[in-house]
Amino acid sequence: MQLKHNNVEDVLIVRPLEKRIDASTATEFKQKMNEWIDSGNRRIVLNLSEVDFIDSSGLGAIISGFKKIGNNGNLVICVVKESVMSLFRLTRMNRVFDIYASENEALEALSGKA
Amino acid sequence: MIRLIIDSRLENVSLVGGAVRGIADTLCMDSTTSYQLELCIVEAVNNNIKHAYHCKAGHSVEIDILLYPNRLTFKIYNKGERMNPAKVAPFSFDPSNVETLPEGGMGLYILHALMDEVHYETINGQNILTLVKYLKS
Repeated sequence: MQLKHNNVEDVLIVRPLEKRIDASTATEFKQKMNEWIDSGNRRIVLNLSEVDFIDSSGLGAIISGFKKIGNNGNLVICVVKESVMSLFRLTRMNRVFDIYASENEALEALSGKA
Repeated sequence: MIRLIIDSRLENVSLVGGAVRGIADTLCMDSTTSYQLELCIVEAVNNNIKHAYHCKAGHSVEIDILLYPNRLTFKIYNKGERMNPAKVAPFSFDPSNVETLPEGGMGLYILHALMDEVHYETINGQNILTLVKYLKS
């Protein structure tokens, strides 16, 4: 699974370049997120601008990263397509994650500049 | 009727998803409805591979797609382990408590939330999940 990632100060921005985060890719996605969190990244922006499809396994992998960070930081999400957003609403994960319209908004919120 | 048959590998499920999306597009469903229909079939087929066949390749998962004037019906067949819906934990968590957030167990909840009918039966050793979506006239 291709995941573009870069740091802006101490915030890690992760942008999946695949159109799907599903059961066949969720394990790899979760593993890479775990590696980044284990190596000290505690504030993460997940940019879903390229993602057309997430199933419950993919959502579970995102939740796993959020739980791993716990209260020691935050994982926020940005640029979610309306169809994918319907899964967040259906599962009430829109009440769990902070979701932003743009990467800059997410970055500012995580950097405490909002 | 369209019949799709895939080997029981998770990387094959997107092929089914693409076919469902194509049908949804042909029926002029909006993008969210199309996504949700694909999501349901993908969840159902994932469950077949994960729970009926324990992610072991070499088994067939069959999907029949039947279009009627007022509904779209999907029948998903496997010959693996039977699901016991009564043993499936309800989908419940406290959004303010990180520890309670579920990392799995959402599939059946999604099916029941988005499809108009969900039936499960076993006939002659074959497990059949039937999903029905009513079509707007």
